[in-house]
Amino acid sequence: MISTGEPAVKLRRVAKRYADIVAVDYIDLDVKYGEILGLLGPNGSGKSTTLKMILGLVKPDSGSVNVLGINAEDDPVAVKRQVGYVPESPRLYEFLTGLEYLDFVGDIYGIAVSEKKNRIEEYLEALELEGREGDMISSYSQGMKQKIALISAFLHKPKLLLLDEPLNGLDPRSARIVKDLLRELKSQEVTTIMSTHILEIAQAMCDRIAIMYEGRLLALGNMKELRQKARLPGSDLEDIFLKLTGTEDIREVVEALLK
Amino acid sequence: MNWKTVLRLISVDVKAGRLIRGQRLRRYREQKIFRYLEYGGAYALGLAIGIGAGSFYAGVADPELKTLFYQGARSLFLSLPSLALIFSLVFTMMGQIQRMGVRASLQPPYWLPITWEEHTLASTLANLIGVPLAFLILVSSAIVTVSIYLEQMPLATLTIFALMASAFLASTTTEIFRVLQVRLIGAVYKSTGKAAIWVRFLGTMLFLIVFYVVWFAFSSGTGSIALIEAVAGAQQAVWFVPYVWLGMVLAAFMSGLLAQTLIFSLASLLFILILFYVAVRLNARFGFYEPPAITVSRGAYVPKVGFLGKLGFSSLEAAVMRKDFRAFTRRRELMYVFIMPLVFILMPLMQYLGVYGRPVEPEPSRFLFALILLVPGSIMAVMLGLMVIGEEGGSVWLFFSSPITARSLVKCKYAFVIILSCIVTLVCGAVGILVARPSPDTAIALLIESILLIFALGAVSLGAGIKGADFAEAPRPRMVRPLTAFVYTLLCLVLALAIFSPLLLHAVTMDYIPIPVSLPKIDLYVAISVSAVIALVTTFVFYRIALKNAEEFLLKAEI
Repeated sequence: MISTGEPAVKLRRVAKRYADIVAVDYIDLDVKYGEILGLLGPNGSGKSTTLKMILGLVKPDSGSVNVLGINAEDDPVAVKRQVGYVPESPRLYEFLTGLEYLDFVGDIYGIAVSEKKNRIEEYLEALELEGREGDMISSYSQGMKQKIALISAFLHKPKLLLLDEPLNGLDPRSARIVKDLLRELKSQEVTTIMSTHILEIAQAMCDRIAIMYEGRLLALGNMKELRQKARLPGSDLEDIFLKLTGTEDIREVVEALLK
Repeated sequence: MNWKTVLRLISVDVKAGRLIRGQRLRRYREQKIFRYLEYGGAYALGLAIGIGAGSFYAGVADPELKTLFYQGARSLFLSLPSLALIFSLVFTMMGQIQRMGVRASLQPPYWLPITWEEHTLASTLANLIGVPLAFLILVSSAIVTVSIYLEQMPLATLTIFALMASAFLASTTTEIFRVLQVRLIGAVYKSTGKAAIWVRFLGTMLFLIVFYVVWFAFSSGTGSIALIEAVAGAQQAVWFVPYVWLGMVLAAFMSGLLAQTLIFSLASLLFILILFYVAVRLNARFGFYEPPAITVSRGAYVPKVGFLGKLGFSSLEAAVMRKDFRAFTRRRELMYVFIMPLVFILMPLMQYLGVYGRPVEPEPSRFLFALILLVPGSIMAVMLGLMVIGEEGGSVWLFFSSPITARSLVKCKYAFVIILSCIVTLVCGAVGILVARPSPDTAIALLIESILLIFALGAVSLGAGIKGADFAEAPRPRMVRPLTAFVYTLLCLVLALAIFSPLLLHAVTMDYIPIPVSLPKIDLYVAISVSAVIALVTTFVFYRIALKNAEEFLLKAEI
């Protein structure tokens, strides 16, 4: 359901606290259809919590979350049906084989049998899991588990992808395939919100980047807009990120550590 | 050996057994008082037993009886190290079996400067925490107290040392077993290929069944007395077996043979050290060993178009049920649910067949049939219902992030509980019919009753399993909060009695269970009808509760 003008994801005054810790501090965010948005921020800045609130895994203390024209709180199941999610450290059913897991996920999303078979086989081949798909997941490496988690997020052709560190543990070839796939999906109006610590990936892939710090949205925009905001013309994302988050005093830290 | 490291490793293990959850995941807090309650309770119970037994001894006027009591107590002291060994071995093994399937269990951080000696010692001692330690405290406090009355303090002190050493011996043996089984399983996977999954399932079941049947045979009723007598008698005969040397220390001490006491003490110490050394070497050799992958399927992928769809389940519900079936046949810590029903068939059967040395019953009993038919399925329904949500563990995020509704969740989990429990009941029923040869009326009535119980108890326990789900996985999966499990198991017992009461009344009025007064006869089918009404109302009410709990569960899903 693509509505003109209306963003794919709309957060308004969204806040979440855990006891004394402010995870997300009244943020507003619009993500357009077909956009790839990168969420950057130091550890504990609220990226994962924001992703989870969009999916409905975490209830905001205040504010509203609207996903694909649906209020996430009113109809979370309808939202989940159209979203593909990869958590930061996906825990899979280790007693299933990779194939059984994907078959299970396919059934969870109600994919037709022949379509499910085709998609699973294509993804397994593309991400070089063929030959190991019949082995129990407990014997998989971290990268292989990540591939299975990614396939299970893509399998039902979601309209919105929420990816928390999607390229964690992937080999260069698979990482490239995932990146190209995300770009291809963008052309099909699939929206992607991904959190990452790899700034090069964010710079190369994302249409816009949101920099979060202590639960707040410090900056949001494309590279040009971020450079302007940081007053660092011609700089790369690393310098911009360090300046905006006030963590550029790295030399002093290193020197202190070497003492 | 750095003792501080050992203590810290033990405390990590102990803490892992408690609730370790992040701020966001915390659903409940464990009261500190409960941490040491079992040990305090064991101590108090031991003290009470000691005072009771001591007061009895002090109050006995008959010198013959007094001597008999005195001799009995000394004989018990003599067999305690071997009993502690058996008991600790059983419980530490149980603990290990439950942990086996958990990769998230506590592995010592190998990259830290921890030696294999420290790791093995910590692991061996940590194995004893819980029931084995409580047992040791109970027995120790009882024998110290009673020995004051018997004026046998030196013997009591030596017995306590022997008890501790026995427990350590048992735990070291378990540690060796743990390491070897990892290596052995690896070899099995390699040699059996695709069949590994079933070989593992059947092997585990066989091991557990033998283990439990032997354990129950010895620990129940007269079996335990027979065991004490057997241990006390057999110890002398098999003195060359190192595992009984600690008992031999006490025997020699009681007989005043100080040289033998010393020799057996030193030999026991040497044996423990050798065993510990073996455990350390095995850990060093196989501690990093990862069993090879189990390959379940090869060749072309053919998606299953299951028959569950034809039964009215959606693809989502059928997928969850298939996944759960695989979980309960592949995860060793879940295979436990099949043990209790099987033991419940085997125990009465073995008793009936005279395996335990009791006389074979002349006539097949309808009560034996009732036991075989009613109990396993009901226990299965209760256990499955309590576990079937919490067994998701850390993978529960998939449920929270997928488009599953409360209605679907309850439907597929409940159906899974019912189907598996009914299969168990039918298998048990077939065995029961073969052995007890009941009349058709009795067979049909009890089969209906069994199904009714499964439906009702499954609904009650599923509601509790959703409400009290616990996804903590280290050091072993908890699946359900202990208090919830306890309370709802009691509730299930009460409800089972309520559902079964009409049939019980029928049995009483028909004089199957003799009572002194005569009551008007209640027809079998009237009794079943009343029972069915109670069961259906219970099922309806608790299914609704389970639905409500599932709605809350999915709504409050925070990962």
